[in-house]
Amino acid sequence: MNQPQLLNALLKKIIRSGIGKGRYIMAAVGLSIAMLLILSAVQIQVNYNELLYGKNNRDSIANFLVLNKVINGNSRDNTLSKELIEDLKKQPFVEEIGQLTSSKFKVSAQSPSENLPFYTDLFFESVPDEFLDVKSDQWKWEMGSTDIPLIIPNQFLDLYNFGFAPSQGLPQLTPGLVMALPIVINVNYQGLPIKFTGHVVGFSDRISSVLVPDNFLKMANKQFSNTTEARPSRVVIKTKDPGNPQLVKYLKDNGLTTDADKTRFSKYRKIVNTIVGASSATGVVMLLFALLVFSLFIQLTIASTSKEINLLITIGAAPRQLQTFLMKQYLPLNIIIIFTSLLVVALGQFFLESFLRSQNMFISQWLSFYTIATALIILVVLWLVNYFTIKKYISS
Amino acid sequence: MQIQLHELVPIPLKEKFLSRSSDLWNTTVSFSPKSWIKIVAPSGTGKTTLMNTIYKLRHDYSGNVLFDNKDIKTINGDEMALLRQQKVSIIFQDLRLFENLTARENIELSRVLQKPIYEADVIDEMAERLGITPILNQRAGICSYGEQQRIAIIRALVKPFEWLLMDEPFSHLDIANTEKAVALISDECTKRNAGFLLTDLDEDHLFNYSNTYRL
Repeated sequence: MNQPQLLNALLKKIIRSGIGKGRYIMAAVGLSIAMLLILSAVQIQVNYNELLYGKNNRDSIANFLVLNKVINGNSRDNTLSKELIEDLKKQPFVEEIGQLTSSKFKVSAQSPSENLPFYTDLFFESVPDEFLDVKSDQWKWEMGSTDIPLIIPNQFLDLYNFGFAPSQGLPQLTPGLVMALPIVINVNYQGLPIKFTGHVVGFSDRISSVLVPDNFLKMANKQFSNTTEARPSRVVIKTKDPGNPQLVKYLKDNGLTTDADKTRFSKYRKIVNTIVGASSATGVVMLLFALLVFSLFIQLTIASTSKEINLLITIGAAPRQLQTFLMKQYLPLNIIIIFTSLLVVALGQFFLESFLRSQNMFISQWLSFYTIATALIILVVLWLVNYFTIKKYISS
Repeated sequence: MQIQLHELVPIPLKEKFLSRSSDLWNTTVSFSPKSWIKIVAPSGTGKTTLMNTIYKLRHDYSGNVLFDNKDIKTINGDEMALLRQQKVSIIFQDLRLFENLTARENIELSRVLQKPIYEADVIDEMAERLGITPILNQRAGICSYGEQQRIAIIRALVKPFEWLLMDEPFSHLDIANTEKAVALISDECTKRNAGFLLTDLDEDHLFNYSNTYRL
């Protein structure tokens, strides 16, 4: 061993004998737990934000709202004016807006088979495709085709299967069966029925209406209807945050309403927000507490070796040299603890991701930038605490 | 390096010291380099206070201590560390060893605290001369006072110095061991051309003193 190595080995022995193993381990464990808590709190917050606003999760039901006027019996006209729609477009909470076009002609549907007879008067609506939650290759209509794809609300099937069918002694239908069933559609044109064949290609949770492709309805309205220019009575908007109080206020001010389920969701989200906020506040308190504990530990460690430090300086150890040496004793421990905690949180994130993916929720597989940044900031803070504590004890 | 005391009086003992005559307190004295100084100091005359003041461990005094005309009050921690590593060595009355280090480690620490002037085997040679070879690997805390004193003497001698401060360095040694220690200290001081300040209770003729002062 050369001189610096010998000196380091001796200094290490002096300092270690002063500290005591038990105290050292306890403080390290305490700091690790606190680090885990704060890093998890940051990562959970990021995950939560990603679940709410992330691209992969954005196409969920919560971010599309169907708006219509409140029907209260006072007004006969419950359509939405052009001005209102223009105004709606300008609102900051509206990302995109799509009009629900409704059919302006009489239409009916009936079964082609005697086995399952039904007949019903019907209506159609359409929205631009990007507002649909059903993806299907068959969702298209070409000019001249008599084949019309339909999207019906999920509730329709439920109503039929659990309400209508049992009461009428009819068989219950699976979605697959419904989609295989051709439906005869009669459009009334100047008293004459024009036959089309409809088939269901999907079930929507988002829009409770019988939907046909936009281009078909535009053509049909033009072709079969007398009335010109129909004013929509419903629009669908895409929004980042259905719980936005601004949005809720705007709807109220303009006599509009939307699906209650979604507003209820926003109420839940407020509660979740509060809980997450409280937990991150707890995390911050925990962090401060951890820093306090660790800095107390350092003070205690150095206080317990103050006799040794004093004697070292007495026999000629340079304060600066000693400070550097002591810093080197703590820094590796801090780095190891922080990286171990990061690793544990990263593993947790990895497993959480695969679990949530199985639940159709999507978060990143990796640690967020904020989590890593927090770890680095804490490293700097710990370093500063070490530095000033050691300095204080050495210069005294 | 010249050491000068200028009207030095420890503040806690001011009344007591001002009322009696002393060769060193409250006067101006200069110790020239290489001189071997004996300070005879009966109990209670402040010899440990003097040593600690010159070594800059105490600051509660009026007057000045000057190293080469530089007031040691103006010397900062790192500069003082350098002086202690290179120019001033000390044997404390209360020995001040690291109890958890072995005798050898205590001496080794002093050797490697700066760029070593001796190889490690010099420790064995000196230990042999003072008769503490058997306890070299023993924890200093469990050594007898006599052994600790010899460890402290070797610790002070394995490093460079121009001045050696000794505060009752033989208080725990018998005559035979004192003579061995005196011989070693003389050799090392001569080798370095170094001076020393030695305080003791009574007069003696252990060394060829250049000057003797009464505290």
